[in-house]
Amino acid sequence: MTFSIIARCPHTGRLGLGIATFSIGSGGRCEGIQAGVGICKTQAFTNRGNDPLAIELMAQGHTPAHVMKMLEQNDPDHAYRQIAIIDRDGNGIGHSGSGTRPWSGHHVGKGYVAFGNVLAGPQVLEGICAGFEKDPDTLLEFRILAALEGGRNSGGQVGADGHLTERSAAIRVVADPDYPDIDVRVDLHDDAIVELRRVLEEFKRYEVFYRDRGRDPSTAITQDEFVRRLEGRA
Amino acid sequence: MTYTILGRCQRTGRVGIGIATFSITVGRYCWGVKSNVGVTVSQAFANERNNALALRLLTQGFTARAVLQQLMDNDPYAEYRQIGVIDRTGMAVAHTGPKTRGWSGHVVGENYVAFGNGLMGPEIADAIAKGFLAEPESDLEHRLLMGIEAGRDAGGQGTRERPKTERSAALRVYSTDTFADIDLRVDLHETAVDELRRVWSYFKPYEPYYRHRERNPRGAMGQEEFMKTLQAAE
Repeated sequence: MTFSIIARCPHTGRLGLGIATFSIGSGGRCEGIQAGVGICKTQAFTNRGNDPLAIELMAQGHTPAHVMKMLEQNDPDHAYRQIAIIDRDGNGIGHSGSGTRPWSGHHVGKGYVAFGNVLAGPQVLEGICAGFEKDPDTLLEFRILAALEGGRNSGGQVGADGHLTERSAAIRVVADPDYPDIDVRVDLHDDAIVELRRVLEEFKRYEVFYRDRGRDPSTAITQDEFVRRLEGRA
Repeated sequence: MTYTILGRCQRTGRVGIGIATFSITVGRYCWGVKSNVGVTVSQAFANERNNALALRLLTQGFTARAVLQQLMDNDPYAEYRQIGVIDRTGMAVAHTGPKTRGWSGHVVGENYVAFGNGLMGPEIADAIAKGFLAEPESDLEHRLLMGIEAGRDAGGQGTRERPKTERSAALRVYSTDTFADIDLRVDLHETAVDELRRVWSYFKPYEPYYRHRERNPRGAMGQEEFMKTLQAAE
């Protein structure tokens, strides 16, 4: 029970990942994203080792299709995994194993892969894709957020006892190998995508301030002063 | 303004970070931890490249002391940075630059660094260290959380006249895997340390379930079913 998207911005080459799920702390299981290399995200009955391994393999030069084959050879329970991979050029591949819980599936689009399991149906996947495609010129983090919202608004997750809310969600976007550009999370909440939008929008107000004070501390104003200016403007 | 505990478990070699601050989404700055390698955090006016560089140097085999020296030699603004490093042997070192703001300092011992800036006073760093050292036989994540809770209870950030709340917090622990053992975050909250404790308490019974279903997907129970067993046990 999870729906996700991994994507590459066609304008900037930034790579990003968005996830929402009934499980708790899902952002803590998203290690497989590296600037200049690619993204791999394994879910359903996840194999945590897959994502760091796939990043190593892509860094060595293997294509997503070949990486997927190697992950399959490396895992006796591959049929229980749902995996999406894209490389730094946006070439994508998906795998929704026969042992994942229904409805389960993926869609490989241009520069992205949308995928999910224990969903209301294929319309959720369509909602994710439509959300992502809606505004192709906006920042990748907001396209990913729109994708998650599109999935939620199309029915989201439905388990054995009916609809399941999103209790955790996360977005990560990378441009530099040393640190994430965007890295926002909600680990336990009744409406995690709503909360994720709140956190992302608040972070965007601070983003440049946080960046610049680290790059040139000698001219940085205090955060108190920055917050006063923010509130004055609001 | 931030307070942090870096720790290494003497028994298991696990390494981790507990952190709390007035700034939002602090977990974004906590990628400097790696299984079998060590742990580092740069804060105050954080140099965004330090964590990645320090991990690479630790991976190459430099001691914590040598890594810290290289970070400082590499940075024209070293006097604005606060840095902690622990290597795989448990050697722990810290640097608190004279141009970090407010009361700023660190307490270092074998296997831990307690450090912060913009704090009420030296008693905060002492309290963090004491909280971490209180139960040496407990799991590292518990000890790290005890460390930051003790920092909060001793007064935390700001001044007596103008105390500052924690708006974000994070807890990350690596063991021997290529991925995080524990990775929980609160990105935007009015009392983020309280919320981190809530998320951790809630997550704790799920953790072995998530781990088990990943490693043994054949016949694993669904999360809805697992939650019924939790409720029945209460």
